[in-house]
Amino acid sequence: MANFFPRWTNPLPLKIAVCLGVLGAAVVAGFAYYATPKAQRVGYQPSQPIPYDHALHVEQLGLDCRYCHSFVESSGHANIPAANVCWNCHQHVAKGSPKLAALRSAVGVDVDHIALEGVAGEGHSIEWIRVHRAPDYVYFNHSAHVNRGVSCVSCHGKVNEMKVVYHAKSHSMGFCLDCHREPEKHLRPLEEVYNMNYNAEEYLAQNLIEGADGERITTQIDFGRHLKAHWNINPKESCSTCHR
Amino acid sequence: MSKRIWQHPDVPATEQGTEVWRSIGELEKTPQFRTWMEREFPAGSGELSEEEREMSRRNFVKLMGASSALAGLTLASCRRPEAYIVPYKQGPEWIIPGKSLYYASSMPRPEGAVPLVVTTHEGRPTKLEPNRTHPNGGGTDAFTQASVLDLYAPNRSRDILHNGAKASREDFVAAMGEVVAGSGKIGFVFGEDDSPTRSRLVNDLGTAFGGAKFYSYEALAGEGRKTALAGVFGVDGANVVADFSKAERILSLDSDFASLDQQGEVAAFFRGRSAGSDDYKHEIDAKKMNRLYAVESAFSMTGGMADHRLRATPGEIFRIAAEIGRRIQIKANDPQLGKILNEITPLVFAKTEEKDDTWKQKWINACAEDLWDAKGKSAVLAGTRHSEGLQRLVVAMNIALQAYGADKPLRPVETDRKGLGSLGDLAKDLESGAVENLFLLTPANPIYDAPADLKFTELLKKAKTSVHLGLQTNATAWASTWHVPAAHYLESWSDTRTAQGTYSLVQPMILPLYGGLSELELLSQLLSWKDAKEEDGAPVLLTGEGAEGGASPAYLEVRKTFAEIGGEGDAAWKEALKNGFAAESSYKTIDLGAGMQLEEQKMKKAVAAAFIDKPASLENLELSFATDGSVYDGRYIDNGWLQEAPDPISKICWDNAALVSPKTAKDLGVYERIAQLESSTAAIPENGEGRDASAPLIKLKVNDKVLEIPVVVAFGHADDCVTVALGYGQGATDDRQSAVKLDESKPDVGLVGRNTGFNAYPLRTSETSLFATGVKSEDSSKDSYPIAFTQEHHAMYGRAIAREISTSDVKHQSYEQQLDNVVKQGIDSHAPENISLYLPKGSSSFEKDKDKVGNLISDKIHQWGMTIDLNSCMGCNACLVACQAENTIPIVGKEQVAMGREMHWIRMDRYFAAPKYERDDHGHIKTEKVDGKDVKKAAPAWISDNPELIPQPVACVQCEAAPCETVCPVNATVHTEEGLNTMAYNRCIGTRYCANNCPYKARRFNYFDYNKRNPLIEGNLYKGPLGETKVGDSTHLQRNPNVTVRMRGVMEKCTYCVQRLEGAKIKQKQVQRSKSLAAAGGSTSIDVTAEDLRVKTDSVKTACQDACPAEAIRFGNLLDDKSSLVRAKGSKRNYDLLNYIGTIPRTSYLARVKNPNMAMPGSEYAGQATIHMT
Repeated sequence: MANFFPRWTNPLPLKIAVCLGVLGAAVVAGFAYYATPKAQRVGYQPSQPIPYDHALHVEQLGLDCRYCHSFVESSGHANIPAANVCWNCHQHVAKGSPKLAALRSAVGVDVDHIALEGVAGEGHSIEWIRVHRAPDYVYFNHSAHVNRGVSCVSCHGKVNEMKVVYHAKSHSMGFCLDCHREPEKHLRPLEEVYNMNYNAEEYLAQNLIEGADGERITTQIDFGRHLKAHWNINPKESCSTCHR
Repeated sequence: MSKRIWQHPDVPATEQGTEVWRSIGELEKTPQFRTWMEREFPAGSGELSEEEREMSRRNFVKLMGASSALAGLTLASCRRPEAYIVPYKQGPEWIIPGKSLYYASSMPRPEGAVPLVVTTHEGRPTKLEPNRTHPNGGGTDAFTQASVLDLYAPNRSRDILHNGAKASREDFVAAMGEVVAGSGKIGFVFGEDDSPTRSRLVNDLGTAFGGAKFYSYEALAGEGRKTALAGVFGVDGANVVADFSKAERILSLDSDFASLDQQGEVAAFFRGRSAGSDDYKHEIDAKKMNRLYAVESAFSMTGGMADHRLRATPGEIFRIAAEIGRRIQIKANDPQLGKILNEITPLVFAKTEEKDDTWKQKWINACAEDLWDAKGKSAVLAGTRHSEGLQRLVVAMNIALQAYGADKPLRPVETDRKGLGSLGDLAKDLESGAVENLFLLTPANPIYDAPADLKFTELLKKAKTSVHLGLQTNATAWASTWHVPAAHYLESWSDTRTAQGTYSLVQPMILPLYGGLSELELLSQLLSWKDAKEEDGAPVLLTGEGAEGGASPAYLEVRKTFAEIGGEGDAAWKEALKNGFAAESSYKTIDLGAGMQLEEQKMKKAVAAAFIDKPASLENLELSFATDGSVYDGRYIDNGWLQEAPDPISKICWDNAALVSPKTAKDLGVYERIAQLESSTAAIPENGEGRDASAPLIKLKVNDKVLEIPVVVAFGHADDCVTVALGYGQGATDDRQSAVKLDESKPDVGLVGRNTGFNAYPLRTSETSLFATGVKSEDSSKDSYPIAFTQEHHAMYGRAIAREISTSDVKHQSYEQQLDNVVKQGIDSHAPENISLYLPKGSSSFEKDKDKVGNLISDKIHQWGMTIDLNSCMGCNACLVACQAENTIPIVGKEQVAMGREMHWIRMDRYFAAPKYERDDHGHIKTEKVDGKDVKKAAPAWISDNPELIPQPVACVQCEAAPCETVCPVNATVHTEEGLNTMAYNRCIGTRYCANNCPYKARRFNYFDYNKRNPLIEGNLYKGPLGETKVGDSTHLQRNPNVTVRMRGVMEKCTYCVQRLEGAKIKQKQVQRSKSLAAAGGSTSIDVTAEDLRVKTDSVKTACQDACPAEAIRFGNLLDDKSSLVRAKGSKRNYDLLNYIGTIPRTSYLARVKNPNMAMPGSEYAGQATIHMT
């Protein structure tokens, strides 16, 4: 029987196998990098209907997080403020600014803050674009965290320095579990939860906190362990903690 | 796909002799039943049918093609989709996004309002809980739980109709202007509920319109009872309310007072069932426990609880009541009872020769004697729909038993419902022209459900204007000249009274979704339109709110009424609104100082009418028109939750059927057709449970009316009579005979109610409102009708599944000994002790490191557990529907139910048990010699034909050693530190291994995307993404935002309402903030202890527990010694289901206790209905 294939085809199967292997590895590596929350979410920075500047309001004007996100301590959701909260100040401040058109529309006034005829209560709500979005089957609860010494910074980054809010951390399940396994890296006194510029070392230098052995605590890890013990913090890792 | 068969141990010899079954297939041991017992799901539920296979293959190819084509298009534009957060413009007071708000309200009901706490999420009412701080607050029933779905029902009426065509509000107001300006001959038909504001407006309307007349009508209201009570107590609107806390002996004469025929708060009755236990602080005190006698034709939920139950046809009830009355009279010598009995004697006793079964005479004797011995603490309750004659007799009997009074079991009260005529009166007035304009404000549907002899359709045409106010466009809506969409009670201001008469408020949770008008708004505006002056301009119709966003007219009227009852001023009003009731506002007790009014003439007539001369026989069947546990009188026909909830007794979903006793079925020749009796070697027939389940059709003839209806065997049913539930067959598009034909242009029902059941109303006349006599049955057609039974679905094997003991000696064992033996029943005395790994108590193998063991695997703050007390559970479905509302459980439709794909997390098992053989004193079966052989001695027929009914709700029992967890390949079902067996739905890949390995069959699988694809549209589920995805436009508003909506291919089950547990724990964590604020040194100086973080004792309740009207379910923290759960678990009646297989369930059951009267015939068999499924 004659040879169907010429001699040069002999290494071909091996070459194909190697190529396929490399290609496969590249796909896997690519997927592992690009298809994870770290690559997909971090850095998401949509433009909002009102270019609200957290850096201005927090750093320059000194607003507390809870002035706007008022129910964060009692509810699962850290609410976006109702238009009337913005209006408390902005009926006097930055009158007529084109940036606040959406707010005026929600409140139902024209550019000179004169109530629009027939629009009372009929204006459009402000449609903020969601930056941090947990999947439907995840029931993250803000109050459970801020009341137990986990700061906004731990998950949202330094929002106080953001001119436009962006997704700073991955919020993947691994991200949640890292902290549930080692909460001591993030715990801080309840008074400092909304202090975006908190630094554990500085705090401990100013406040004397003694450990169980009577020695002054100087590091975040030691401080975290101290708080964890005193506050009875045992974060759960079972599914129903977040998935119901 | 059959699974390994667990060889369950033998039943101990002393516990044999009682036959136990769920269904006729099981009783007759048909081979097909066996197959289903051994399967995870009933046959067919896991496989595709021919049609489905065809569908899915074609769809698969089609979709693959389409999706790969689309993939090419969409990849280029693959971007993160934008989601929006839309905050309020003006933040409403009290609303915190993400937290639910609770309001006190009540649901008006004919038997007395149900006090409620309504859960709302951002303004949407989603769940109803009983208001237990209300003086009359007990639990809720399935109807109440499901009523929230009616608010969002897809087929709710939204448009005003004029002669069936859409009309504007202005047209309606103009038409009403003519009515109020006209002759004033206006008739108002109200429902049977009591509303003080309505009663006040009735007076005003009577003054404003000289010719106004008022009626009340609901199809299942007891007209005879109303007439009798008003007569004997001499007060219009008189009623009798039972206070079961004072009743030690109760005789129910065909009254399902615990569920469908309530005559007072039922919670007290169930407390009386476990008397002396004081919330499980002690065992049940046999001396304080109440005793229930029931005489009834078909099993009711009350009859299932009875200690002694006598089967009797409805026509026989009066005779039995008279016999009991006569025996009471011998002791009591009450003059009035004497006079009534004098009337009855020639009718009944002259004809009752001594040949009557002697056991029955003994039964009656012993019952009468027991009632008399407990006089002052005993009560006789007649079914409210029974005849006037029976009601009069029962009142006299109760007077002889000294049952009436403010501190007695029965309290005669004066209600506000005065001056209301009956439907019969309305018919006369319409006929005579005394009423020209008619307002139908009743929740009933008279075109469909009025007695046939009134010919209401013709009558209604005699009215110049008829206005129907209703939630749905039902038959009456299309037949009236005007139909106005009504506001749901969760959308309107009103007030109402409980059975005891406590003034309770109804407040709106949301503005009417579809501009519905409430009854009070209509009445109030009729008055204002009458007084309207020219210069005020044209009147407008106000619904939900008043002019220019002001308060609704109904609110102003309720405030006015409240000022008279609860006091003037805002403070009292706000307090009442917060609590849901006005304190000390119950009905006035009627003083019975002078005894009852005998009204001899009326009494004689009523008694003669109540007596049924001819006893029922095969040629002269009695047909009982029963209240339905799912659709009530037909008003809930379009409620998917109720339709899919299996009937508590017959376990039929989505239909009604004719119920007959096994003997009557045999006599009629249909038993074999139903049972499909086959030898075990015969081929498995097509018929039976599962997708092919069907029942033969029979024809029932009353005079010239015929009802063609499927017939099923009902155990414990009286012989020679048939029971048919009312309310079905309101709209049929198929070829069934006995149902209203659906006119697609004017549909009487929505998608849910279409093609469900058979309509028995045409057979019912004013005279025969409860039952008809002289019924003939014909099995002419050889057709059968598919029926969705759930009784064999998820059937469980095992020994001593439901356990029962008796307060009297059984097999020489005293009550105390039987209590001690509860845990040993079945094979459990031989099973080794199970060692819990989750409770922090360590084990001997970890002697050195006990604490560490505890730390590793368990939480020291919360360990959840549950008990279900079978002594209180009557099997009413309240928990099942409550669970559905709380956990967003979809309905799947009749075809899917028939395949065993129902999704209810709680399965309400219902067993029958009857002694089959006689037993000796030690519990061994007696034998006798027949033809020289030893044969087991059969128990007498009257014993074995009268089975006990034992309901048992089973949901996931949260095994500590859960068989499901070990077989999940993806760890989607895992244990929590707190002892829950949880489901991570997003992780589940749908292998169904877990369900296969569950000995309790507690897991449910989403074969389709039931939540998204409407299962009621034919073939819709099989169309995949091409199917109709919407189920109405507002049902999604009802969903609980704290629960994941499961999709196709996901396993689900009960997780003890984990969303409530997590919510409670998180709320408790706020203690750290309050402590920090209080401490001088701030948060770093405080200690948060385990006690601080523990959820307050018994403060978190599961949905089923909260709904239960019998308080049968206890849930709580096993580590909290003050919890009533811990006390319940400590009861001697506590046992684990299938203890011997070592799963260590967290849900345990408490054995049922029977309290038999040993003077009763057959009492030696009581308290032994322990269920062994073999």
